[in-house]
Amino acid sequence: MKLLASRDSQRKKFISSILSILICTLILFSNQGSGSPGKPDEEITRYKNQKLSIKWDPLTKAPLIIRGVESSLLELENFSKLSRKEITHAGRRLVSKYQSLLQIGPDQLKLKGAEKISDTWYVSYWQTFRGMILYESSLGFSIDSQGRIKSLGALLYPSVQAPVTSKIGHEEAVKIAQKQIKDFKELKCRLLAESVLVYPVKKTNSIGYYRVYAFNFFPEEALHPASTVGGWAVFVDSQTGKVVLFETLLKPLGCCVPEDWVPPKPEEMKPKW
Amino acid sequence: MVNSKSSKLFFLVLSIFFVTIACKEKGKQFVLPKLGSAAIDFTCHDLKGQTWSLDKIKGKVVLLRFWTDWCPHCRYEMPVIQNYYRKLNKEGFVVLAVNVKQSPQVAEAFTAQFDVTFPVLVDLDGKLAQKYGVHTIPTNFLIDRQGIVREICIGDLFKDKTFMQSLLNYFSEK
Repeated sequence: MKLLASRDSQRKKFISSILSILICTLILFSNQGSGSPGKPDEEITRYKNQKLSIKWDPLTKAPLIIRGVESSLLELENFSKLSRKEITHAGRRLVSKYQSLLQIGPDQLKLKGAEKISDTWYVSYWQTFRGMILYESSLGFSIDSQGRIKSLGALLYPSVQAPVTSKIGHEEAVKIAQKQIKDFKELKCRLLAESVLVYPVKKTNSIGYYRVYAFNFFPEEALHPASTVGGWAVFVDSQTGKVVLFETLLKPLGCCVPEDWVPPKPEEMKPKW
Repeated sequence: MVNSKSSKLFFLVLSIFFVTIACKEKGKQFVLPKLGSAAIDFTCHDLKGQTWSLDKIKGKVVLLRFWTDWCPHCRYEMPVIQNYYRKLNKEGFVVLAVNVKQSPQVAEAFTAQFDVTFPVLVDLDGKLAQKYGVHTIPTNFLIDRQGIVREICIGDLFKDKTFMQSLLNYFSEK
């Protein structure tokens, strides 16, 4: 009788342990599946004898963030004596040093902005492909008063494959883009910015690269600083003439092209405690 | 005769109906909340996957800021906001920086450059911005501890002395 009871309890223990393993496995797998798709992973790694914390973009397989754990990513010597132009070259040096991680070359950078706020410089770049900017690409970092770059943030596309010539002419592309806007003439729309870009489109497991004519249209009404009217961005595929992006634009301050922006003096920006 | 009159009336009513709808739609897009009104509550995820709502942080002073990475003002002001946040966070100052209509990766790469430690919310479809009537980037809202909209600033936050003074008043009182 005792033996039977012991066997019974052993069986129960066995079943419960099997069930626990099954439940744990299920939880593990369900977490993997539901964990926000495309959520980047972060890891501590050693790169050329340097300890780095890297957050990867699971789709592009390029780093989103790199931080130096025990040391800076780069230190610029005689920083206080460097000119603005020399400071903006830091990006090239940084990319050269971490090229195999970033998977792009220093010649693929185009300066986006460089501003000094208090004692810190903030520098950012676009990634280019054969001279064309990749839409929404970036590499940026700050340089402290000692010339140290401790981390960088990036959205890079390591293996761009985009057409290098257009099959559709510029005029034709403009017409296609204009047709997307209802009441284009009545609204007296103006083409305020245009460019040829590489437009990366993220798919489930891959990225498609379009060489596009990118247009920003704004109705005349939007040009008034007090107006709340926005504009439109239209991207036309330079190979097929298809519209690959059409969206409404919010107004940047002052309307409508950021290049017109004049930075305020740093003194105005300093917090007054 | 009667037919002609009634058809005219019908078209008149129809026109009024469509004009009203059109006005409503236009109004719906860009109406900023009124100063002194209760801030519209929302639920939005940040870059770390955490969910935020105004209700959750009631009792704090909130700077609700709508930004994008293509806006130079946003770039320029980000480190300054971070300074304020670092200084005032312990006294109940919360910054909710809402990235409008950009991918989380774009927002993440941008904020990493500035070592931002406040929550960066992702408004992928721009619906939250629309809810707040945002038509220009950047737009800032100061929401007090009771959840009331106290100041609105479109553009350079640190040039708006009234906004900044109101913000600092909540903390200098202590």
